[in-house]
Amino acid sequence: MRKSLMWAACMAALAISACSENDDSDESGAQVTNTEYPEQVFWGDTHLHTDNSIDAFGFGNRLDAEAALRFARGEEVTATKGAKAKLSRPLDFLVIADHSDAMGATKAIMEAPRIALLTNKFLLRWHDMMNESEEGSLRVTGELIDGAAKGTLPASLTDPEETRDRTADLWEKHGETVDQYNEPGKFTAFMGFEYTSMPDGDNLHRVVMFRDSPKKMGDTIPFGALGEQNPERLWAYMAAYEKNTGGKVLAIPHNSNVSNGRMFAMNKFDGSPIDAAYVKTRALREPIVEVTQIKGDSEAHPFLSPNDEFADFGVAGWDKCNLSCTRDMQPESYGGSYVREALKRGLELTLSVGANPFKFGMIGSTDSHTSLATADENNFFGKHSGNEANNRGRVMAPQNLGTREGRFGWHYLSSGYAAVWATSNTREAIFDAMMRREVYATTGPRMQVRFFGGFDFTAEDTADLVKTGYTKGVPMGGDLKGGDGEAPQFLISALMDPESASLDRIQVIKGWVDATGKSQEKIYNVSWSNADARKLGANGKLAPVPNTVDLTKGTWDNATGAPELVTFWQDPDFNAAQNAFYYVRVLEIPTPTWPVYDALKFSLTLPEEVIKIQQERAYSSPIWYTPSA
Amino acid sequence: MLRKFIREPLVHFLGGALLIFAFFWTTGTGRDPADYSIIIDETDIDRLTTDWERNFRRAPTQQELDGLIDQEIAEEIYYREALRLGLDKDDPVIRRRLFKKMQFIESENSEEIAPTDAILQQWMDSHPANYSLSSIYDFEQIYLGQISTAEAADIIEQLKQGARPATFAKPLSLPVALDHATSEEISRQFGDRFAGQLAGLEPGVWSGPVPSGFGLHAVKITAKKPGKVAALDEVRQRVTNDWSAAQRITQKEKALDRYRPQYEITIAGRP
Repeated sequence: MRKSLMWAACMAALAISACSENDDSDESGAQVTNTEYPEQVFWGDTHLHTDNSIDAFGFGNRLDAEAALRFARGEEVTATKGAKAKLSRPLDFLVIADHSDAMGATKAIMEAPRIALLTNKFLLRWHDMMNESEEGSLRVTGELIDGAAKGTLPASLTDPEETRDRTADLWEKHGETVDQYNEPGKFTAFMGFEYTSMPDGDNLHRVVMFRDSPKKMGDTIPFGALGEQNPERLWAYMAAYEKNTGGKVLAIPHNSNVSNGRMFAMNKFDGSPIDAAYVKTRALREPIVEVTQIKGDSEAHPFLSPNDEFADFGVAGWDKCNLSCTRDMQPESYGGSYVREALKRGLELTLSVGANPFKFGMIGSTDSHTSLATADENNFFGKHSGNEANNRGRVMAPQNLGTREGRFGWHYLSSGYAAVWATSNTREAIFDAMMRREVYATTGPRMQVRFFGGFDFTAEDTADLVKTGYTKGVPMGGDLKGGDGEAPQFLISALMDPESASLDRIQVIKGWVDATGKSQEKIYNVSWSNADARKLGANGKLAPVPNTVDLTKGTWDNATGAPELVTFWQDPDFNAAQNAFYYVRVLEIPTPTWPVYDALKFSLTLPEEVIKIQQERAYSSPIWYTPSA
Repeated sequence: MLRKFIREPLVHFLGGALLIFAFFWTTGTGRDPADYSIIIDETDIDRLTTDWERNFRRAPTQQELDGLIDQEIAEEIYYREALRLGLDKDDPVIRRRLFKKMQFIESENSEEIAPTDAILQQWMDSHPANYSLSSIYDFEQIYLGQISTAEAADIIEQLKQGARPATFAKPLSLPVALDHATSEEISRQFGDRFAGQLAGLEPGVWSGPVPSGFGLHAVKITAKKPGKVAALDEVRQRVTNDWSAAQRITQKEKALDRYRPQYEITIAGRP
């Protein structure tokens, strides 16, 4: 009884008291052996929201971090709206990345005793609306997002001093849960949060993830973006964290596609030109980006890459306006919004500033707000709890942000995963692999992609590709070393996901800076299925793989693709004086999108404009070439 | 024990109630003076001041503070009159609010105890399926490609007669042999469909074809260690998490069960 009254008092005090009980539980003593080189690819989601995110809770999510972790480990849970949810295969790791701003606040506002809020008419009104009805709760969430974008939220939600104790308390409890489910060698649970900077609704969000145990993190709490919209402030927080704790932390930009050209802008946040110090810090803090997720795909855009017939994946609905749809986006701004262009800009900046701020690897993740890290088309649980699997109307539902611009439910992708080549399934090994960019993105399927670059490979090396790759070259994310002017060679393999579709092709995407200092790109088809019948045209293009999707059943025929593609490739257009990068894109054969499965389940007739067939894909991290001085 | 008892707030509350009862009993009036006294003490004034400062970033003037106090008194009077009129009854917001409060207090009421090994073992024994370790296999496989089952069966027949596996193997970068592999490890590389079929194969001979997402395989199981129930130490972390999660659910149910028997519940149409 005593404890309960103490807790009731804590709730009443809400933002003021520190009610945590200390726990000196020791770090896990389990020892895991690391392999000599990364033998296994580990699958995870670095970007999952639970009921501690203000918008997730506001949209109805009532599943906490524990449910999220259990689900990611492969257990069945009951989703907020009542449907049973289970992954077809467990994940290997998870970063719960709740919004740092007002973390846990909607939950606290709704659950707080009314008397504690009486003097704050802002919070009191929201409290009553949330408790009154589900519609009220949704309205509050809309107002919260709007208030965050406009900077009009009350100080008790945003002022770091006022929220510090509540956040610290919540964060400590969260750390205990995360540690409880972190099982080295079997499943890795990371501490992390999302830094949600969005000046004028332009998305500059970053997921921040820690290598360390909550114990080592000490009294670190998440860094909010309200009032601190400049990402350089986040990098300073990260530097201070590493200095104070001896720990390690990295940041992952995402949804550059709705940044209105600002994520990879050619100048700093304050508009001043990028300088050497900025480049150094950014490259150190942001080794990877999240290139594909629920709110679209940011790899490429047809406007930027008119010769790339696959550049339109996950673009529809997301390229017209910024995150909050408070600003329209013009094609002229796309250069700062898409990853391939950023990689090219990085080469240009290498020449003008002396180093590359955009030297990053690529991962996919979910950004799901349901506590459910799903990424399969036939098991899609939606962006937020209002759009879970049992919502019949979700395909055509207008979105609260951007309906005017024609953004509808079907524009959401069923999102992606992060693939990490690591030496063990531990916080340390996975984090370190991300720092060296030995990672790749997929739009959901778990195809295995290997990509090595070097100057000593021969065509025969594909026979023992992995071992040779590591001994004679560098893996994805690396820098080509050596070479006496001859063109670099690459060993590339892609193995289909045995539970998904077979493979159409492997492409190498090359970016370089020409003699005039301008960056260029070219796409090479380097390996494809049914090679006897499909020949490259004079323009290097390859005939499309046949579409075998049966929309009335949601099936396709894997016999049209290859179970595996393996190749040796040498750059035919190499110029040793030009900076360049190379990355691999692997395409599956055509398969149905999630709205098709919804249509079958609910007997819907999908309008013409809904995209029903797509080619899911993987993007490797690049390998860079820099001419020797 | 007595000291603890004296400090218990509930005891204070009951003690106060007794005093009030005694007052009515001795005076014989029907009006509780405590219900008609409002005291704004230093703590209340501090609270009002702090809340003001939080909203306006400065201390209230005396006039503003007086206004806050008047407002506080007005609210308190109307609040009590509303209670007297029963306006709190049948208000869905208040009802839900009190439900939540009660649920919260009940959930916090339950002490979390550290489970002993005996408790964990008992939990494992009652949920054996959750903690069984899968069979462990040594096996060889060759990938036959996307060919017909009849063709594959024919190849397997030849393998049984002693044909060299390499003759039929199509290239695929999956291991041709795995040692000491659990079913999870096999699933990871070959997919669930493949892993699920190993249990039904006869060890020691080439058999199949075993389909996977890649195509068909011939498989020879060279050793098999049957699955068993894990020892507590092998799965301790998982068992502890599962037990704790289950505890929280049962405690929630138990909390309601403490009150429920006192109610006679009648539902139309149900006997």
